[in-house]
Amino acid sequence: MIRSVNPLAQEPRYELIGRVLRENILSGVLPPGFVLLEGPIAAVMQTSRVPVQSALRQLLDEGLIHRFDGRGYLVGKGGEAVVPIRRDIRELDLDIPQVVDQALQTRGTWRHVYDKVEDEVASCQIFGEFRIVETELADHLGVSRTVVRDVLARLQERGLVRKSPSSHWIAGPLTARTVSDKFQLREIMEPAALRLAGPHIRYAEVEALLGRIGTDPEITPQYLGDALLELCIAQAPNAALVEMIRSNRLLLSSVDRALILLGLPRDEDTIEQYQTLLDLITHHPIDSACEYLRYHLSITARRYLARMKIVAVIDETGSFAPYLSPQ
Amino acid sequence: MQDDTKPQLATPLVVPRRRLRVLGTSITLVDPVRERARADLGFDIAFEKKDFPTCQRWAAMQPDSYDVYEQCFHNLDIVWFWGALQPIDIGRVPEWDNVSDLVKLGGVSKYAGRGRGDAPAKKLYVQPGGFLGPKPTRYISMLPTVHNMDSFGYDARVFGTGPDVRPSWAWLLDRRAKGRIALVDEPAIGFFDAALAAEATGEIEFADIGNMTIEEINALMALLEDRRVEGYFCGTWRDGIEAADLAEGGKVAVQSMWSPVYGKLGKARQHFVESAPSEGYRAWHGGASLSRHLRGAELDMAYEYLNWWLSGYAGAVMARQGYYISNPQRTREWLAPEEWAYWYEGAAAPRDLAGPDGAIVVKTGERRAGGPYIDRARRIVIWNTVMDEYNYAARAWERFVRRVNQGVAA
Repeated sequence: MIRSVNPLAQEPRYELIGRVLRENILSGVLPPGFVLLEGPIAAVMQTSRVPVQSALRQLLDEGLIHRFDGRGYLVGKGGEAVVPIRRDIRELDLDIPQVVDQALQTRGTWRHVYDKVEDEVASCQIFGEFRIVETELADHLGVSRTVVRDVLARLQERGLVRKSPSSHWIAGPLTARTVSDKFQLREIMEPAALRLAGPHIRYAEVEALLGRIGTDPEITPQYLGDALLELCIAQAPNAALVEMIRSNRLLLSSVDRALILLGLPRDEDTIEQYQTLLDLITHHPIDSACEYLRYHLSITARRYLARMKIVAVIDETGSFAPYLSPQ
Repeated sequence: MQDDTKPQLATPLVVPRRRLRVLGTSITLVDPVRERARADLGFDIAFEKKDFPTCQRWAAMQPDSYDVYEQCFHNLDIVWFWGALQPIDIGRVPEWDNVSDLVKLGGVSKYAGRGRGDAPAKKLYVQPGGFLGPKPTRYISMLPTVHNMDSFGYDARVFGTGPDVRPSWAWLLDRRAKGRIALVDEPAIGFFDAALAAEATGEIEFADIGNMTIEEINALMALLEDRRVEGYFCGTWRDGIEAADLAEGGKVAVQSMWSPVYGKLGKARQHFVESAPSEGYRAWHGGASLSRHLRGAELDMAYEYLNWWLSGYAGAVMARQGYYISNPQRTREWLAPEEWAYWYEGAAAPRDLAGPDGAIVVKTGERRAGGPYIDRARRIVIWNTVMDEYNYAARAWERFVRRVNQGVAA
């Protein structure tokens, strides 16, 4: 999809971020003991937190950074006592090679645009059926219609928009049946993937995560859901299955985010369930974790269906992007 | 700082009067109830009265703005699962044993029909994992109070009178009333009046009328749209005053109705009558819930108010507008024998009977349609419901209502 003369533009975003951080650690711009936090790095790199997390995990594997008794990572191998240096990475003059910067920017236009539109198009569907007009989307984003068509084509590929018989781009509506179907698919695929993933799960990271539940305010049900996917389920050695799981979850997690924006309170029960699940994964036969995952998904589906109903009684103003026209 | 050497006058201790904030609708937030509760309980009670959708939204999203929430069991999917309420401990409700089986079991007797959709029994007890269900536990989501079995009202000059006339929900789509049909505009209520009508005419059969599929919703909306284009509907209404105006002004020959509206009718009362539909009733069950923020003394105060609701007086006020209470025997003590006989037993009124505000709502000799409570309650076929596809249905319904009221041609 992404066409560019810059060879690095094809490289995954986390690789680019990892490359920048690695070089700045080796050159000493990022000194030993410097506290690396996901948020500020994402801001410097103009990206979401997800690729930053992957980049940091890679650097951790390489031994360039280590965990400590606090949020984030410390630069350096660990083992020796260093005083954590807490400074905003944005104040440092990070060395970002031009070719990497360009690649980030190129991807930036596309990826940045894509991720935002994907989230907006997915989450609006709870509010009904919408039409997307290419020119309006292009104007809204300030990009060309070529970029918009690429974006829409990718959304179509992921099942988030479709063409109507009159060739209009249509998104939604998200019905209870769609949600039930998606949860049924999750119940079929995710426990199966978890079983396959057994030997490949990143156990040390799961342990570390378990230690943070209950103390780290950053831990939300959504955070745990993503972590379960990345650290455990997505480790299954079957890329096609993992891809299906990811795209099946897409709509559900976007709607989840939309409901949180509407004020859905934090759900402690779900956090407890994730804690039990992660504990089963690390300390018990994988079969028990798979069964528990199935149980957790059936409960989540019921709650999800009930919570969606609130949308019928709220004022929708401002709940969706301006290029989405309610049908 | 005070100068300790000077003698001080004792300042009177100012204790702010305690106040309970109740969020609800016009069904239960009526002045006689508030005045009496204030006098009996010794604390202030502030009523925040909202229309149905607004009430649900507030209840779910602003639980800090109220202490007690009064609406219906079918609203709980929205409010309970948004985490706005806390469970009620039935150990703190002395009247619990006298609350009727209609709520606890789902029917007034073992053999009575249960009704489809959001029967209160399905939403009553708090189950493990925070779900709601019929299996008894110590905690409930909502204290059951007022309820009724709704039907439609019709012009007897159009549909006839006498023992051979068998009112049917099909009349809401009947050609004899073409251009003079109105429905209540509430997707958890009027939608089911329309659905019952469509089933009664034989045009649509729902696998489960209480939880329709997308195809069934589409079929119902297509049917309503066809009738609308043909000019069957003259309007929709949202509250009892609008409903009374439609009937009184002679605009409707048949429409969705609520019990208190009959008492508000003037000369239309002669011919506009309550039906006891041959297919059965659409019922609803109200109640009161506790906001999640309540603790300590505030929580105690809320429990006092909830228990007061079941102590008889409120049930009598409700009875005089045609609504039943979940523990009728306590309310009986507060009704005149003639009132009890008319409202609960289906007997003819031996004298004129007054409504909650003192105005006469029942004339001597009148008899309540459908007969005694037990007969009416046995014939519940559907409850007001917020079904799984509620979002989809509510949007489709809203489009239909807009067209009816704007008179769009096609």
